[in-house]
Amino acid sequence: MTAPAQSPVLQTPEHAPAPAGRTPRRLRMTAQRWRLRDRAGVLLLALPALTLLFVFAYMPMLGLVVAFKAFNITDGVAGSPWVGFDNFTFFFTSGDAGRVLLNTVGLNTLFLAATLLSGLLLAIMLNEIRSKYLRKPLQSAIFFPYFVSPIVVSVILQTLLSGVGGSGGAVNKMLGFFSLPDVSWYTEPGPWPWILTVVKIWQLGGYTSVIFLAAITAIPEEVYEAGALDGASRARMALHITAPLLRPTAAILLVLGVGRIFFGDFGTIYAIVGDNGTLFPTTDVIDTYVFRALRSQGDFGMTAAIGLFQSVVGFLLISVATLISRRYSRESSLI
Amino acid sequence: MTTTISRDSRQDQSRASAGSPAAAPRRSSRTEPFTIVSLIGVGAFALFCLIPLWMILAGSLTDENKLSVDGYSLWPSPFSLKAYSAIVAGGALWKAMGASLFITIIGTTISLVATAGIAWAIARRVPRLSTSLAVVGYVPMLFHGGLVPLYILVTQYLHLQDSWFSVILPLAVAPFLVFIGVSFLAQLPKEILESARVDGAGELRTFFQIVLPLSKPILAVIGLFYAVAYWNEWFMALLFITDPEKFPMQLVLQNLIASVSNAAGMIPASSDVAPVYQLRLALTVVTMLPILFAYPFAQRYFVKGLTLGATKG
Repeated sequence: MTAPAQSPVLQTPEHAPAPAGRTPRRLRMTAQRWRLRDRAGVLLLALPALTLLFVFAYMPMLGLVVAFKAFNITDGVAGSPWVGFDNFTFFFTSGDAGRVLLNTVGLNTLFLAATLLSGLLLAIMLNEIRSKYLRKPLQSAIFFPYFVSPIVVSVILQTLLSGVGGSGGAVNKMLGFFSLPDVSWYTEPGPWPWILTVVKIWQLGGYTSVIFLAAITAIPEEVYEAGALDGASRARMALHITAPLLRPTAAILLVLGVGRIFFGDFGTIYAIVGDNGTLFPTTDVIDTYVFRALRSQGDFGMTAAIGLFQSVVGFLLISVATLISRRYSRESSLI
Repeated sequence: MTTTISRDSRQDQSRASAGSPAAAPRRSSRTEPFTIVSLIGVGAFALFCLIPLWMILAGSLTDENKLSVDGYSLWPSPFSLKAYSAIVAGGALWKAMGASLFITIIGTTISLVATAGIAWAIARRVPRLSTSLAVVGYVPMLFHGGLVPLYILVTQYLHLQDSWFSVILPLAVAPFLVFIGVSFLAQLPKEILESARVDGAGELRTFFQIVLPLSKPILAVIGLFYAVAYWNEWFMALLFITDPEKFPMQLVLQNLIASVSNAAGMIPASSDVAPVYQLRLALTVVTMLPILFAYPFAQRYFVKGLTLGATKG
């Protein structure tokens, strides 16, 4: 079962070699020779993931040629006729392009700013709460929404805004308490960017604070001790020590967020807005638009063209973002 | 030094013990205003997070008549279990639950096998091979084909419509989790691997008998991330599953919000007044139950995974 090329030590597997044999073994370790059999073994372990990635990540990349074709099901991807940039022209002259692109970038900017700010504030405040009995349950409570599915979020929002059966609703009740008129939320596109931002804060505020808290624990205690010796209050220390030291983490999250600014959160937005056309002016993003166009019109060519455009711009942004974030922190080599 | 409350004494022990003797009593010997502000701030946010969830729970236990007027409920009165008994009696929910469980359990298993395998292959640092695998795993994080090619692939070439595998397979390998796995596995002590090798263990045996048992904590983290993602997934199901018999929970719930008639169909014909609104909320609660039960145990792992992701990447 062991190849002879390996080493003579292998013949006595039970007995550890004498201390004298230790040094050569170490040397071998650093310059391990990889036999074909070992390579094959490692490759075999990677094979399931490689297969899945090849089929579900790389094949669709090739499938993007559909963007340059008039795709029809009978001819398939390879057989459909080429149409050059017609699909792109169709989208960019359709009048929807401007609205959809603006919404995507606008909403994502709002979401990014709101989640970063709320996560940062929560982390700094959580760091002040030293009692285990308070901190643990509070942290559990603010982290939980991250696990709630978009559909459930949509149900919650309905309950709050229009009532589960389409009448009443907790927010309107509150408005009534201040003798303000009811708002028919699901027919008013105006406030929706803000409503969705609040949803994002609810979903991701606690999640982001966990990332910031991890960075706070990395701050050496001496810094705070020095601050305390100088008579700084906790508030001053939070403002002048914690916050500035969190800048790199915030910068990385910001840059990564900007890298993803072209990708809408389909799950949440579609679960909440669905096919409610009155809300499209402010909530329709690239991903929801593509989905609807695909489902209602079955226009594969144009939707693939939008997807390709999104992927290319997204790729450029992510690449630039990754390069910038690496300059900020050499330790976080990936993401 | 003024009164020392329990919080401060604990802090003195844990945080300032290494510092100079003077530092401990000097800092935070009393509750500072900012601490109180923080407590109120985080407390308010915690309420903001929990109240909507409570409203769903309370509403699901409130009588249909009150719900149809107010649309929400802060306290389950008049109390009613009608929706839950309707759910238990109607068969549709059990089917959906079965679909969701299938997707979650089989999906997590497939994902764990694939992710652990490729993560180890990258972390093993096999010359050339590991780097190529890392690139192959990393590129999908930067660039992807998007919705349309995937849709054509799954429906026209793989013919996976109405199969639960159409939900599982496209999501089976999450590059982010692969690299969380790599960052953990790369830290396993080399000596152990080397001694296994010297003892004649092949790469596969080393992986299954040494690496996997040592990486249980990270497997738990990765498995939980996948499990929650599968349980909450509905977009893939929306795309590829059209047979209502095969809908997972999330999709059934989405259908239910979309129209009242869908809800009425879920209730056995015998019930006099169909508690459709209550049913929506009750089904929402049922959808959240597994996560709610797993949460106390899972939270720790999630924080761990996130911290790993944030610091090591």
